[in-house]
Order: sequence, then structure tokens, then C-alpha cells
Amino acid sequence: MASKMEETYVHRKLEAHKPFSTKQFFLQWEWLLVLILIGVMVLNTLLSPYFLNVTSLRDATMIFLDKSFIVFPMAFIMIMREIDISVGSTVALSSVVMATAYNVLGMPMEVAVIICLLVGALCGLLNGLLITKFPELSAVIVTLATMILYRGIAYIILEDQASGNFPEWFGFFGWGYIFGVPFILIVFVIIAVVFGLLLHKTSFGRRVFAIGHNDVASKFSGVNVNRTKLIVYTLAGVMAALTAVFLASRMGSTRPNIANGYELDVIAMAALGGISTAGGKGRLIGTVIAIFIIGYLQYGLGLINIPSQTLMIIIGALLLFAVIVPKVKEMRR
Amino acid sequence: MSTSMMDETLPTNIEKKESKLAKIGQFREIGLLVFIVILVIAVQLRNSSFLTLENISDMATNTAILSILAVGMMLVLVTRGIDLSIGATLALSGMIVAQFVSNHSGTSPIVAILMGIGIGILCGLVIGGLVSYLGVLPIIATLAMMNIFRGLTYMVSNGKWISSYQMPESFVGIATSKLLGVNTLIIIALIVYAFAIYFIGHTRTGRQIYAVGSNPESAKVTGISEKKVFIIVYTLMGGLSGLSGVLWVSKFASAQGDTATGYELSVIAACILGGVSIAGGAGKLSGVILGAFLIGILNNALPLLNVSPFWQKGIEGSIILAAVLLNVMVKRGVERNNLLKRRV
Amino acid sequence: MGETVLELRGITKKFPGVTALNNVSFVLEKGQIHALMGENGAGKSTFIKVITGVHKPDEGAMILDGKIVSFANPNEAKAAGIAAIYQHVTNYPDLNVTENIFMGHEKVSPTTKRLLWKEMHEEAKRILQSLGSSINPKQDMGTLSVAQQQIVEIAKAISTNARIIIMDEPTAALTARESEELYRIAEDLRDRGTAIIFISHRFEDMYRLASQVTVLRDANYIGSWAVNDISNDNLIVAMVGREINQVFPSKTHDIGEEIFRVESLGKVGYFADVSFTLRKGEILGLTGLVGAGRTELCETLFGIEKYDSGFIYLHGKEIKFKNPKDAMKQGIGYLPEDRQKQGLILPWGIGRNITLPTLESFTKGGWLHEKTESLKAKELAEKLNVKAQSVFDLVSSLSGGNQQKVSVAKLLMTDLDIIILDEPTKGVDIGAKSAIYEIINELAYQGYGVILVSSEMPEVIGLSDRVAIMREGRMVKVMDPQEITQESILAAAMGEMPQGGETICLPV
Repeated sequence: MASKMEETYVHRKLEAHKPFSTKQFFLQWEWLLVLILIGVMVLNTLLSPYFLNVTSLRDATMIFLDKSFIVFPMAFIMIMREIDISVGSTVALSSVVMATAYNVLGMPMEVAVIICLLVGALCGLLNGLLITKFPELSAVIVTLATMILYRGIAYIILEDQASGNFPEWFGFFGWGYIFGVPFILIVFVIIAVVFGLLLHKTSFGRRVFAIGHNDVASKFSGVNVNRTKLIVYTLAGVMAALTAVFLASRMGSTRPNIANGYELDVIAMAALGGISTAGGKGRLIGTVIAIFIIGYLQYGLGLINIPSQTLMIIIGALLLFAVIVPKVKEMRR
Repeated sequence: MSTSMMDETLPTNIEKKESKLAKIGQFREIGLLVFIVILVIAVQLRNSSFLTLENISDMATNTAILSILAVGMMLVLVTRGIDLSIGATLALSGMIVAQFVSNHSGTSPIVAILMGIGIGILCGLVIGGLVSYLGVLPIIATLAMMNIFRGLTYMVSNGKWISSYQMPESFVGIATSKLLGVNTLIIIALIVYAFAIYFIGHTRTGRQIYAVGSNPESAKVTGISEKKVFIIVYTLMGGLSGLSGVLWVSKFASAQGDTATGYELSVIAACILGGVSIAGGAGKLSGVILGAFLIGILNNALPLLNVSPFWQKGIEGSIILAAVLLNVMVKRGVERNNLLKRRV
Repeated sequence: MGETVLELRGITKKFPGVTALNNVSFVLEKGQIHALMGENGAGKSTFIKVITGVHKPDEGAMILDGKIVSFANPNEAKAAGIAAIYQHVTNYPDLNVTENIFMGHEKVSPTTKRLLWKEMHEEAKRILQSLGSSINPKQDMGTLSVAQQQIVEIAKAISTNARIIIMDEPTAALTARESEELYRIAEDLRDRGTAIIFISHRFEDMYRLASQVTVLRDANYIGSWAVNDISNDNLIVAMVGREINQVFPSKTHDIGEEIFRVESLGKVGYFADVSFTLRKGEILGLTGLVGAGRTELCETLFGIEKYDSGFIYLHGKEIKFKNPKDAMKQGIGYLPEDRQKQGLILPWGIGRNITLPTLESFTKGGWLHEKTESLKAKELAEKLNVKAQSVFDLVSSLSGGNQQKVSVAKLLMTDLDIIILDEPTKGVDIGAKSAIYEIINELAYQGYGVILVSSEMPEVIGLSDRVAIMREGRMVKVMDPQEITQESILAAAMGEMPQGGETICLPV
């Protein structure tokens, strides 16, 4: 605006560059995560002589990284102050459809994989549509219903059978290496970078944060809230389907009860990574560290024969820890 | 300018259709009852073994546990919360009690039941504390505790089952014995209903639960403690889950690590079918019990209709989805009718 | 009479960044209806909350029946015989009338603590009947009309044996006939010895009911007068604190051709048959009582809500839009009424807020250029003279006026033809108000068509070229400059001709 106003007021100058604060830098949640990760590594090394060598660490990633794909879109969803507890069921349904397309319908495996991703996308899209078209319903209820529905459909298709016999090349997803690096690790890094850039460096990501802080104000600011939610939920479905591909590849077969309880692991990883359940806050770098914390913890405890049920307790406790710490900080203030 | 003139020149191009869906809202319980009757008749026509005394009593005992849990879940949902941990709480209490009675065969069934309730109350208190004092979202708190309780169940049991032969007869008798010709489970369920009717309808605390769910802001101004209400509903839910744990183990004569996995979903389904509002504030005991019976009948009828048991989950999911969507449509219809009534 | 029941001395209440009450005094007598008046944001709501124990004052004393009291919570105030009926009805829609009346002070059996439903229903019925109402106490609250709910709220106050009842804008959403009913009830209560603090924007209410009036302005106590002793004009001056026209910039903008036209727009239950036009460089004031449908109309014009009938033309062409983004693309911008909930992302910095509607213009090949973004934001924030250190300062740390400037800056980023400002000076202090008036005038000068929605009469008269008035969902009149007077606007907004000074109301 020109003219009169400039005459009327003496203008104040505003700073447009953010100063770097060392204190702020070291007060970040991610440093705590790094410490925890180091703690987990030290503990594992002390407990098991087999833990700390390159091969062992490398191969461990092949086991725990598959579900981590879902953590990234889940982080987006949680930043938008929503939730999706149907992801485990989406993994099951898309993998079951893939196996059926290959084994029963006789489709080529390549086509089956594409169908798997499409099914995942459809599951996510349905979640997104229900949540945006019926804003009266909370995401908890919608995804709770679809969680039962998707797994229910998987049971209808395969009953309690397993379906496998995939072609040999399909095993590459779960077990392959490229230049000695597990294929899944490479895919993981690519996905992490893509989602990280999407969240932190694009206008789309900025809008996701805006919605999480205040969806009404976002709408009034011209943000297409519904479309953004739809895209993110669909992405969650696609990533769940990608998980299904890697999981089925690693296991060699699939069955309707596969990926049971993944939603908790995924939500726990995101929350531990510093994604606030109150919305609007979080960075993907934190979730990456959290994925490795939980993954290596799981692997290390497995090495010393601690039953997986103990791990359930630990993951539950970690989730609570992650959501309680910020609350306590808030209360102190 | 006078208003009357404006009124006369008003174009009436606005469609003034009243929503018929809104009527459903007024007759939900009756509608549900009619639906159940039709379903029962349809199933009976297909398979005459459905309405036998044996099958009916079987259905009633099966539904008893579901409806007990649904009563608690209703109160949680009324406060705009949710509890996904009840299946795990049930398993934990069932396992601990089963172990105890298998080691102390002289334990009175009453003591076993009280023990189960006690364990459940402890579990519920933890969740209530997380939700009310630490402000953790109910979905997050109960998801985490679900895992913790389930993990504890496995830890306590060391991965082993407790089977019927390890349990004293008096314990198994909790679910199989009869009192005045009626199965004890059904009697216990009736006691729970009676308690709930009194608590919900005739005590201050019971009404405060609805007040907090209906309008948390007003409740605050009225001086109702939201924290207290949260603690109460989750503790009650825990107590009922603990009770159900004992009943479950007694009925199925086995306690396992994965007992009642995912049972919370059926319970929530029963509540939603029974018309409990997900937005909080509304939910009737009669509706919830009918909802539980509908689910129970469906579960019982599917095998009789030669429907594969693997269809059960899919059907359940569809029913929940349909029920919540119907609820929304009814509500929208009511709102639209109210708007139409407003003269502009 | 003349017996003092409640006295407040030098009450001060501060919130982070705002002084809501500054050294306010107040005397209430038994059997008195005492009007409390002031513009939006004058501190009336905080004042009530202090009396009812919701807020604790930072300074000052409250004296009830000659004794100094201090309420730790609303229950203590209630026990002391103080009840409040709030502006937005605060009830439990899912519970029945009896419960709404008795919530918090239920009748219980002394031995078993069982709720005595029968007694409560009977008592509720009795109280409601004493108020001349035939509402069934077993009905759900949510099924009642607003007027009926208001009566239930009063019944609630009576059931607590309240000696002091505070009514906060009880007539805001009522029709004339319903208001009359309420006046009757209030007078009845007064004759029974209850002291009533009556808050209203309607002068009519005050003249009809009150014997004493106390005025607050900008958190300060201005004065207290017997209603018969103060003239209308003096009261307005006391409330507004300035002569109309005093603070408004002179109109310098040229009005161009018609750019925007709305024809018989309607939305079921909210408004119907709304038609008006807007020209380039014109400020069209839009006013009316609370609940007249102004905000709903504006939200519809911005694509937040959908309309059921009618047409919208921009530059002579019919336009349709699905959502706000669409509306902005076509050239319509909206400054929402509630800047904290609808306008701004409070935990964000100034810069990010300003650029949110126009993020695309800072993206190249998908990447967000944060440097260009913050430089552009800086430019705009400086132009609007936002008082802050840096564009990274959190919006939540700014004063109301500066927050509003940030909201306006958001609109200036896009290429708009029409700017709709919904209560742009609500909750903004006096100094910042004139800065915003300056900005509004400047917008018109720049050639925007401006729709200024406001309840503040001086603002509407001082800034607008024409004034449109809505009443009960209809646009009852669009006034040309020569017709605009305070009286004519009020008459149109209230739906009746003014008879002397008595029906004057300030529709704030």
C-alpha cells in the first residue's frame, strides 16, 4: 500500500532473518532421542556380543523397517490433529488382495503389486472421504470402523489360509541388497527424504501444519482443508500397501491376521519422534530416530530371547512417555 | 420499510423438504427392537434350531458379557472418550484370577469375582489418571495401555494356558451354574443393569457424567469436576472389564494370553448400534443392551445360516460404519428440520 | 429500598497482555434492576465472571451484604446467592429441563443420596409456572426454542434462591414479543426483592427495565447514573467516549463502476432474498442486530457456507465457488469476525500467517522459498505498521490491534476485487482502531470494493458510503449517503420507527 499511509506513520522496521540460537538448538527433542538411541545401542551391546557389528545392524534394519514406511504419513496425519488406526488392517487387506491376484486370479506378480498399492490407496481414500464428508465423526471412530472392515474383508477373501508361493524375484523387496546395502534401507531413505522435504520444504507441508494448529483459520485462509486431508489419508493407505509388499516379500506369504497391531507401533514411533498428538508440531527427523530406537530395541531384545510380549509393554510405555513428557513440561510452565 | 411488504414479495424457490430420517431419531429403541424381531423371525425361518431353548439360553449367556462391557463403554463414550484397552484388561484379570484359583482350589467364587473386579479397577484407574490428570488423549492412552495389559497377561502366564482341568469346579460353576433356574451369568448381567440404572439415573455422579459429555464448558461453570468424572468412567469401565474377565474365563473354561483380543470393537459396535452419540452426552441403557443383543444374535445366527465365520468381522465393520453414518444422517435431518422451522 | 446487597470496589483484572478491568466500582441495591452498558470489549463479560467467581480479581474488594467475600469458584458464588444467565445459553442440550434447572444443586434423599426426581420435576414445574411458562420439565433442553431456554435459565437461577441475578444480553436472540415476556419476568423478580444486573446493548431494554445504569468503557469505570438523570446522547458519549466522526479519516476515495452484485441470495434458516450491489472503491457498511444473519451472509459470499438460492455476479459475470480458496481466486477476500479462532494461527509467527493464503506465489517447482516469503511478509507488515521486532514474532504475543493488522495483511497478498471485513475493530483498543479505520479507507482508495460488517454505529456511519441493514435474515434497507443517520439505521435494524429517544438502541 502506498500513498497516504506512509506519510501518516513512522514505519517500524521488522527483522526478516531468524537469528541462530545455540541454546534453542540444543534444547531440541531430537537430541534426547539421540541419547536414547545411544542408550539402546549400549544396552544391546552389553547384553549381547552379537549385536554390535555391521552385518548384524544392517540385517536388523531389514526386519523392522517395513512398518516404518507408514510412520511418515502417520506423522502428517497426527500433525493435522487426526489419527488413523486402520493402517494395520490396510496392510493386511492389500497384501491379501495381492496374493489372491497372483495365486487365484493368475495375474502377473508385477500387476499384483500394482493392485496392492491401488487397494491401499483406495482404503486410505475411503478413510479420507468419510472423515471429510462427515466432519461430525471423529477420525477415531471412522478408522476404527474401517479397521474392522478392512481386516474383515481380508478374512472373507482368504479365510484363515496363508497365501504365498510368490515368484523368486519378489523376495528381493524383503531380502535384496544393492551394493551391499539392503534394498529396504534404500527405499526407506528415499521415502524419508521425500516425506521430509514434502513436510518441511513445500507449501503442502506448510498447510498440513496450519491445519493441525487451527483448521478453521486455515479454511478461512484459503487452505483446501478437505483436499489436504484426503491426500494425506490416501498417502497413508499407499504407504501401508508398500509395507504390505515388503512384509509379504520378507515373510514369503501373507494371511489375514498379518500386521496386527501395527497401528500402535506406528503411532508410538511417530509420537516418540516428537509428533505432538495435540497437532501442529513435529519434525520428521525425530521420527526417523524413533524408528531406529524402537527397531533396534526390538532386535536387541530378540537376540537375548526376551519375548515379544515384553516388547509390547515397552512400546506402550514409550508411547506414554512420549505423550506425557510434553504435558508435564506444559504444566510446569 | 415494513417487514410485511418484504414477506409478500418473497420468492419461494427454496426447496422446503423435511427430512424423514429425523423421525428415526425419536424411535431408535423401538426401531432396533423391531429390527431384532424381524431378524430373529428371518433366521428362524431359515433354521428352526435357532429358537430352541438351548440356543436362546446360549445366546443370552454369550451376550451377557458383551452387554456388561457395553454398559461401561457407553459411559466412556458419553464423556466423548473411548477405551480400546478393555479386551486386554479382561484378559489380564481373567488370567491372574485363573492362576490364583488353580493354585488355591478352595477359593470361593465370590472372592474370585471380587479379585477380578479389583484388578480391573486398578487398570481403569491408571487409564483414568492418564486421561484426566495428564491430559493424554483417550485413544492414545488406551492404545498404549492395551499393549501394556496384553503384554502383562503374557508375562504373568509365561505364554501358558490355564485350562478347565486346572480350575476348581466352583470357579467354572460361576458361568454354568443356575440360580432359581436362571444362568448365573444372566443374573450377574441383570445385577449390573440394575446398578447402572440406579447409578446413571438416580445419582448425582451419574448425571454429572452426562453433563460433562453434553457440554463440558457448562459443566465447568456449574462446578462439576471433569477430572473426577473421567476417573470414574474409566475406573468403572476397568471394573466391569475385570468382572467380565472372570466370567469369560469361567465360561470358556480357559485363560489364554490372547483372550478377547479385539473384543473392544464388538463392544463399541454394540454401543454405536444402541444409539450412543460419539459426540458425547447421549446414550441410553436400553439402547445399548438392545445393541449388544443384536450383535449377540448376529454372531449366533451367522453359523446357523451357514455363513462362514470369517464373514463375521466384515459384517461387524459394515454395521458399525452404517450405524455411525445413519446417526449422522439422522442428526443432520433434525438440524435441517429445525432450520426450516426458523422463519427467515 | 436502597439497601446495598453487593458492592465492588476498585476491581482490577489483568490477563496476559490485556487489562480487562481497571479499577472498576459498582453498587447494587436490593430490588433494583441495574443496567450495565458498554461497547464490545469494554470489560462487561470479565466483570460478570469476577462476580460469579469464574475469575479472581487481581486487586480490589467485593462486598456482599456488608462482608468482604472472595469466591474461589463458581459454586461459592452460587452458594452466596449469585446466579448468572449467560449471553450464549450454556446448558445441556441432551438433558431434560429439570436436570438443567437443578444441575449442581440437585434434590437428593438425605439418607440414600438418591436423586428425588419426582420432587425436582414438581419444583421445576412450579417455578416455570410462576414464570408464566408451560414448558414440560421432562422435555429435552435441546428441543426448546432459544427464548424457552432463556426462561429455563432463569428458572435455574430462581431454584438456587439467588438474590442477585445477572442477565448477560438475554434479549439478544429474542423477538420483540419474547423480550416483552422476559421484561415481565425480570420485573416480577425485582418486585420479589431480587437484585438484577442487566447487560444489554439495547437502549430499549435499559429504559424499559432499569432504574440505574453503570457504564464501562475500555476496561474502565466511567460512571453510574439513575436512568432518568442521563440523556441518551450523554450515555452514548459515555459508552463510546468520543463524538461520532471525530476519529474517522475523511473520505478521499473515488467510487467507480459497479463490480459486485448479489441477487436474491438465500440460505435456509439463515437468510433469504438478499440483494445488493457494490462499486469499485466503495465502502458498503453492513449492519443489524446480533443474529440478523450478517456473518452467515458474509461466510456464504466467501464460500465457507453454501447458498440455496440466488446469484452472485462479479464484473457482470455470474460466479460460483466451492470453497474459500475458489472465492479468493475469483477476487473475494474475507476478514473473519473471530480473529483468534478463524483469522490467525496463533502459535505461528507474523510472516507465516501473512503468507498462508498465497503460499503458491513463493513456490517454485514445488519448493517453498522461505527467504522471499519472509521478505514479502516483512514488507506488508511494515506497510501496515505492525508493532513487533521480527516477522518471526509469534502472533499470539501481539495486541489485538496488531493481530488485526496481520489479518488484513493476509488479504493484501492476493489479487482481490472485493474485501469483506467482519467486525474489524472488535476487541481492539481505541488507538489501534483509528489505525484500522485508516487502513479501511486506504483499501477503498486503492480501488477495492469494501463490505464493512460492523455493529458499532459510529464506525458504520463514519466510514461507509452506503449502509445496508439486515434484520432477521433479510436485507431490509440499503441507504444512500443522504439517508444515513443513527436513528434511521436503528429503526431499520429494529424493525420499528423510533418514537422520540425511547426506542434507541445501539446494536452492538
